[in-house]
Amino acid sequence: MIQVNNLTKIYKTYEKSGNILTDFFNRQYKQVKAVDNISFQLETNTLVGFIGPNGAGKTTTMKMLSGILYPSSGTINVLGYNPFEKKPDFLKQIAFIMGQKNQLLWELPATDSFRLNKEIYEIEDNVYKNTVNELVELLNCQSFLSQPVKTLSLGQRMRLELINSLLHLPKILFLDEPTIGLDIFAQTTIINFIKEYQNRYHSSVLLTSHYMQDVQKLANRIIIVNLGKIIFDGKLMDLIKQFSQEKTVVITLNKPISQDFSLPENIEIDYNYPLLKLKLKKDEINHILSLILKKCEFVDLTIEDESIEEIIKKFFKKTSSNR
Amino acid sequence: MKRYLKIFWLLSSYSIKTSFQHRLGVVSFLLGKIIRFTVYFFFIYFLVSRTKLLAGYNLNQTIIFFLVYNIIDSLTQMFFREVYRFRPLVVSGELDHILLKPYHPFLRILVGGIDPLDIIMLVPYLIILVFFILQAGMAILPVNFFIFLILMSNALILATFFHILVLAIGIFTTEVDHTILIYRDFARMASLPTDIYSEPLRFFITFVIPVGLMMTIPAKALFGLLTINILIISAAITVFFGWFSLSLWNNALKKYQSWGG
Repeated sequence: MIQVNNLTKIYKTYEKSGNILTDFFNRQYKQVKAVDNISFQLETNTLVGFIGPNGAGKTTTMKMLSGILYPSSGTINVLGYNPFEKKPDFLKQIAFIMGQKNQLLWELPATDSFRLNKEIYEIEDNVYKNTVNELVELLNCQSFLSQPVKTLSLGQRMRLELINSLLHLPKILFLDEPTIGLDIFAQTTIINFIKEYQNRYHSSVLLTSHYMQDVQKLANRIIIVNLGKIIFDGKLMDLIKQFSQEKTVVITLNKPISQDFSLPENIEIDYNYPLLKLKLKKDEINHILSLILKKCEFVDLTIEDESIEEIIKKFFKKTSSNR
Repeated sequence: MKRYLKIFWLLSSYSIKTSFQHRLGVVSFLLGKIIRFTVYFFFIYFLVSRTKLLAGYNLNQTIIFFLVYNIIDSLTQMFFREVYRFRPLVVSGELDHILLKPYHPFLRILVGGIDPLDIIMLVPYLIILVFFILQAGMAILPVNFFIFLILMSNALILATFFHILVLAIGIFTTEVDHTILIYRDFARMASLPTDIYSEPLRFFITFVIPVGLMMTIPAKALFGLLTINILIISAAITVFFGWFSLSLWNNALKKYQSWGG
């Protein structure tokens, strides 16, 4: 469905010298590789998380895959098309949703934007009606459909943006930070919707998000990019298995710890009575916990997995130290 | 084509809806247009009433030049108002969404924001033009009127290419406002017959930035003052401008960096 080979994007930018005259008359340019010779493929009916720090090249890659940007080198084949040629038959099969950009007509109700897209994508009347009804119901936005877009909250607008972009039931969805800036409730609504949509229409989704919970909930495959290069491409569970070596034990104590109590020095401890937090390697949990249980009185004990953010951080730390 | 017309119709109706939401804006815009037109009209009237002739043209003919200029100018502003709003789209990166739609982006960024207020202004311009043609007692030959219509269409095609050029420059430099103002300043020079300017300025505004071809030449057709050479040159310049602006636009798309994240 998507085949990318040796894709590179180089931007030409100028280096500021700090002197206005020099910058104007004798500007020094440099070339920045936003995407550096990457290759991957995506099959039908998959949801892939595309993650990495700011400036890693995620959005640039998606923009080349959708045909917005012209690649400096390499080849892209999406649904059998070269995206940059922007053939209408290709554009009718994709959608690109950007969390921080608005494509609804600002001064008018969203229904006007829907009608426009109906004509643009040549959607038949009955298909259009059914799709709008279905998506409106899924995202629960009947009550503000007829309000001008400029009067809506970010969460409401984002829901309508999704409907507007999905009216033509695209086969491929590029989602660039779809939950950015949203509160937890709106985030959950959007994430559940994406999951439901993908299940229902078997589309392929490429998702970028800085909220790792989003990626964890949606994607089973992740591609991690840094400095324009792919540094991991595989199952999220494999990454977790490989890099999640620790668990956090949180104990709510009944009494303060006695002076004679001690634990091995290599254990990371955060003690603020009544909470005692310990970071323990998986293979030492049993041993350490038995020590604690003997010496301390407690009212509660929980064992938590490392957050996906922590795991990704560790992964980045390891890959950058290997360079 | 039918689909494109339908989309154009929808975009135009939304643009009209949006414009009429701001009542004070509508009134002040129209008032501004009327004042500017009236002041310039009386400037020409008083100027040529005293001198009797301007570069060989009498008062009625000079006013007809001015009115033809206003009609073409209003038509171009009416059709291409969206170009004036292009810069924010480039700077914010919202142009991305337009480039991803399965239609030619010009449908949106070039003619996607019909300005209804310019349509309103066209009505008095046309009435006054007919009045002055009758006042001048001109017997316009059908062939001259036909050439006039062809040259008016040519003027609109040239204006289209100019605006495409502005869009392309907008992508390269994110600069739209000044480019369009430069074009409008030159176009305004052609509100009077370009014969009043000496060389090389006349050559420049007729053939290099061909506002003379757009604004002055159609009026000359009404007076029956054109030669076949001018018609051929007009067509050649239009073809050249078309090729140049479209090539620049295609190149601009390759250089587009999609700012704004």
